[in-house]
Amino acid sequence: MADEVMELTPEMKAAIGKSGDPTTYEVTTLGIRTFARAVGYKDPIYFDDEEAKKQGHPALAAPPGYFGMPVYNPFRQNTARRPEFDSPFKRNLNGGTAVEPLARVYAGDILEAVTTLANLEILPSRAYGQMLVRTSETVYTRKSDGAVVAKTRGTGLSY
Amino acid sequence: MADAVTWDEVQEGQEFTNQEETSSQRLVVWAAASGDFYQIHYDDNFAKGNRLPDIIVHGALKGMWVGKLLDELAGPDGWIKRWDVSYRSMDVAREDITVFARATKKYEDNGEALVDFEVGTRKADGSVTTPGTATVRLPRR
Repeated sequence: MADEVMELTPEMKAAIGKSGDPTTYEVTTLGIRTFARAVGYKDPIYFDDEEAKKQGHPALAAPPGYFGMPVYNPFRQNTARRPEFDSPFKRNLNGGTAVEPLARVYAGDILEAVTTLANLEILPSRAYGQMLVRTSETVYTRKSDGAVVAKTRGTGLSY
Repeated sequence: MADAVTWDEVQEGQEFTNQEETSSQRLVVWAAASGDFYQIHYDDNFAKGNRLPDIIVHGALKGMWVGKLLDELAGPDGWIKRWDVSYRSMDVAREDITVFARATKKYEDNGEALVDFEVGTRKADGSVTTPGTATVRLPRR
C-alpha cells in the first residue's frame, strides 16, 4: 500500500456505477461435481445424473452459489470483467459475499455474468493503515431462456 | 450433514451446525473448484510474504459452507431466498470450523413460509469470523 494517506482518485470515482464486459460462464458436470466435492455436499443430485432426474431435475443440479466457471481463453483477453482503475492497493482479500438464487442452475447451462462496480471506499484499517473497499454486484443470466438465475454482491478488500 | 427441516418444526433461537475441516488439501480442491488460485491459500511462504500468519481459508469457501448448511436445511422442497456473509477475520488453515445457522424469525410473506437466520462460521474458541444473515423458504409439514 502507498505510504501517504490516500483518497479516491478521479479515475476511481468515475468507475463507480460502471459495468464490465459480459463474461460467459459454462456450467459443466465436471465443474458441478468438483464444486460439490470441495464444499462437501452429500446430496446425490449434485453428483449423480440419474438421481437428479429421479428427483425431477432435467440434469445434474448445481449447488446454490455455483454458476460455473468463466471460459478461460488466453487468446481472447481483451475483455474486462469489471471496471478497471489504477490503485496503489495491490494485495487483495475477499471481504464478503451475498447470494440471491432466483432459479436452479443445471449442467449444460451457459450463463452470462455482468458485474457492476456499486461502490468504492477507502477506509482505515487497524492492520494495514488503509484499505480500498470495493463492492460489486453481478447478475447471472441463462443464455438459453434469458432467465436471471442469480444476483450476487461481493466485497473486495485491497491493502 | 444437517437434516432437512419443515417450517413448522423450526423454533426461533434453534441453531443448526456443521463441522468443516480445513486441511491444505481441501483448500487446494476448493481452488480448483472456484478458480481462485491466489497463493495465500496454499503456499506457506507466499502467505507469510504477504504479512499473513499462515495460509488462510478462502472466504468464499466459508460462504459456500453456509450455503450448504442452508441447502441441507431447506431440503428438496425448500429454497434459499438469499444469504450473505462478511469475512471479518481470517481463519488459519488446519483448524476445524463450525458453520452455524440460528433461526431468528419465523414468518409468512406472500404465501411463503420463511425463516430468517443468523449465519456464520465459528472457531474453536467461540469467536465468529464470518457473520451473516439468510432467509430460507421451508416446506410446511
